[in-house]
Amino acid sequence: MDSERIEEYLEAIYKRQRTETPVSTSALAGDLGVSLPAVTDMLRRLANEGFIEYTANKGAILTNRGNKKALSVIRRHRLWERFLSDILGMKWDKVHNEACRLEHATSPETENKLASLLGNVDTCPHGHPIPDKDGNIREQHVIPILDFEPGQSVCIETVIERKPDLLGDIDKLGLKPKTIVDIEKKNSDGSVELKVEGQHQRLGKEIAELLLAHLVPKKGKTATVEEIALSRLSSGESGIIKSYASGRSMLGRCLSLGFTPGSLVKMLRNSSGGPVLVKIHDTEVALGRGVAEKIVVARNK
Amino acid sequence: MLGKLGEKRIVVALAGSPNVGKSTIFNLLTGLSQHVGNWPGKTVEQKTGVLHRGDLIFDLIDLPGTYSLTANSAEEQIARDYLATEHPDVVVAVINAASLERNLYLVAELIELAPRLVIALNMTDVAEQEGRKVDPEALESALNIPVVPMIASKNQGLSELTRAIEQEAARPKKSRDIKHIEADSEIEKVIDHAAELLTNESVVPYSRHWTATKLLEGDEQISRLVKQRLPQPQSTELESFLKANESAAVTIATLRFEWVEKIVKTIQQRPPLGQVSLTEKLDRIATHPIWGIVCLIAVMGIVFSFVYSIGVPIQQFLEVSIIDRAREFIYNGLQSAPAWVPSFLGEGILGGVGTVLTFIPILFFFFLAWAVLEDTGYMTRVAFVTDRFMHLIGLHGKSVLPLILGFGCNVPAVMGTRIIESKRARLLTILLTPLIPCTGRMAVIAVIAAAFFGSQSILVSTGIILFSLLMLAVSGLILNRFVVSGERTALIMELPLYHLPNPRTIWLVTWQSLVAFVKRAGTIILAMSVLIWFASSFPGSSIDESFLAMIGKGLEPIGKLMGLNWQLMVALLSSFVAKENTIATLSILLGGNNVGLISALKGILVPASALAFLVVQVLFIPCVATVAVVRKETKSWRWTVFSVVFQLVLSFSMAILVFQIARLTGLGI
Repeated sequence: MDSERIEEYLEAIYKRQRTETPVSTSALAGDLGVSLPAVTDMLRRLANEGFIEYTANKGAILTNRGNKKALSVIRRHRLWERFLSDILGMKWDKVHNEACRLEHATSPETENKLASLLGNVDTCPHGHPIPDKDGNIREQHVIPILDFEPGQSVCIETVIERKPDLLGDIDKLGLKPKTIVDIEKKNSDGSVELKVEGQHQRLGKEIAELLLAHLVPKKGKTATVEEIALSRLSSGESGIIKSYASGRSMLGRCLSLGFTPGSLVKMLRNSSGGPVLVKIHDTEVALGRGVAEKIVVARNK
Repeated sequence: MLGKLGEKRIVVALAGSPNVGKSTIFNLLTGLSQHVGNWPGKTVEQKTGVLHRGDLIFDLIDLPGTYSLTANSAEEQIARDYLATEHPDVVVAVINAASLERNLYLVAELIELAPRLVIALNMTDVAEQEGRKVDPEALESALNIPVVPMIASKNQGLSELTRAIEQEAARPKKSRDIKHIEADSEIEKVIDHAAELLTNESVVPYSRHWTATKLLEGDEQISRLVKQRLPQPQSTELESFLKANESAAVTIATLRFEWVEKIVKTIQQRPPLGQVSLTEKLDRIATHPIWGIVCLIAVMGIVFSFVYSIGVPIQQFLEVSIIDRAREFIYNGLQSAPAWVPSFLGEGILGGVGTVLTFIPILFFFFLAWAVLEDTGYMTRVAFVTDRFMHLIGLHGKSVLPLILGFGCNVPAVMGTRIIESKRARLLTILLTPLIPCTGRMAVIAVIAAAFFGSQSILVSTGIILFSLLMLAVSGLILNRFVVSGERTALIMELPLYHLPNPRTIWLVTWQSLVAFVKRAGTIILAMSVLIWFASSFPGSSIDESFLAMIGKGLEPIGKLMGLNWQLMVALLSSFVAKENTIATLSILLGGNNVGLISALKGILVPASALAFLVVQVLFIPCVATVAVVRKETKSWRWTVFSVVFQLVLSFSMAILVFQIARLTGLGI
């Protein structure tokens, strides 16, 4: 059985699974552009291989094995997309199709080299998270920007690639992932008015529904994300430094070591009672518990 | 500057954060030509050295390691005062390629104070290994400052560095147009406003703009300086303006980091996703609350067995082959001279030299092991895992390092407390250090315990050492609570990446520690040895009628309480010169060699007394060399006297307690 097709199917099932489980045969047929009988036939074979659980009238669910394989294809796909856009400078509406071809012909060695060349990128150009080598993928907490209210500031995380011809327009509007926009008005026709880097823009519903975002706290107002003492991050968690609870005396030393607001800090070790070990600006720093209790961070989800 | 004909001297200052290999580069450039002293009025080490390059002479000065130029510590104040007042011809900023962001922060500050700057981009190998390869040429063009990539631990890049320094020195002094704070930004307006409130006279030797920035950053030293010099209304106006702009400190630091981040993004590779560096892997064990401690105990076990298994045989060899022979030679050669002459030379002088000499092999290997552990970056992990225990006695993890060093010798340990930033924690550590049983004390314990407790001597020795550590903890609790006052500062410490130590650095550090020991401790030990010889030889003809005996007999009433006779009290007193002297003095007083000593001791001591003697010996006043450095480092006679009295009271009361309890439980009459 040819592996390229297996990978295509698993990838498609994985993507569908986020909105429906089990994934129906007809939905897959539509996504992959093949006939119903061909899909049914293929699903049976995938079930035999242990990649999915398949029930004739319900549909398919990925097994652990299938899930892992799907994530591995997605990892290669998204790495290639990054490569094509960041290194080769290709437009981001073109990279998807190219990556679809390259992903199947990628040996693990190429994959590793690709990853190390790109450095620690963790999303594809459209903002989808890249799974890591072991098949773990970061959960994104995003909703369509249409669901936010006027007056809120949101950060665009992901652009859905469903309509490749609109990607060029989105790019021109400056709405790439990690852009922060202020929602100003929602109109009855589904269009949204917003402010992007000081410019007022009006987005049609077609484009607006492709943009997924999360809320960001407004400057000067109380934040809605969870703000906690640095000492409350568990080992492995990370956060963004927000402010200092007190202590002018330690402030200077903390600032010169890079504990400035907005800096990313990762907790390496936090065992009860003792000091904490964090990584900030590429450096490991030990902080007494008393200090860590006075630094306020927003926990990264 | 012009020296001899055709010679040209340039003054080069090395600046950089801790853990960037600055000392290694300094050592490589200057070698043994360096001079180690203190910065005027400060207990911070100052290293200077000379490098000849053709007709050019570099006068190198190693500035203290700092993370910024805001005076958070004495080191930072020294570094920037030097830059502002001495105007070195070239400043070399040594930066660690593996933690570029934090290091360029200092460069951002240096740019303002150093018109001629060269960047030594060190540890490029470590950076590459961590997946953070840096493009030196891109850095150079981004900053418009010469950048020299180096691997100092492998002696790479040195000639390129000296060439770059030479070229930079020839460049006209002109400030570079690099701004990490934009000219029309809000914060710049705040800085400008603060600068307008200052007068030129009030900020000497700094610029008004620079001073205003530091004031806004909350720099205490600058605030004091300006406050003293600025006349009234302005002074109050400035103060209220600074108060209204307290948040500026954070803004300025943030802007600097943003500037740095922008540069770093374009010149450095990011490590691959999910790559776990070697340092992180090792730290999973070394910083673990349980395994970290296990690891520490194992490392220390290896260090001590290494030190003693190599050091002790060498020590014994020196004793027999040099000291004993020299003594024989003196006595044989001076038979015709008056009796006190060979005695003075053989006991007074040679006794002192011998004591120092016998310390050297053990201390050499101890300093060597220490230098290796420190250079690899492991010692900071030790501070991390022990921090929670040290908190119980009001200290933090960094205090552990001098305390461990104290097991070798208390003298460098007291000097080693310099790494502790807070005055209070430093004083407390200095007061506690003499309670660490040093090599000299352990030697005495070993001899006495072996004489009295035979097969159980290991148990007794270990018990005594643990007892003195317990006393250290108890003393810490008491001193922390009732005696030492001042602000407590918390642990904020960088844990450097692990790396292979550089042999040349190890060698230099070991050598310098040893030289410092001989200079500081050796001379005092020699002088005191002569003094003790005098006190034991005069006025009577035998030691029983000497000054020493008189003092010992005067102390006998106290001695009785702990079951000790006057000879033992004298031996205890003589340990003030050097702890090992206890044994030597006992042999003189009780006669003969070591074998004779043991049987003589057994004749006059009951086990309860022996135990009390061990206790008083291990807790007694530290040796005179330690007391001298305590005075030097605390700069206070009051605390020095306190330290001596404290240990005197502690040792006597504990010994009395132990003797009385031991007697009641039947360990003696």
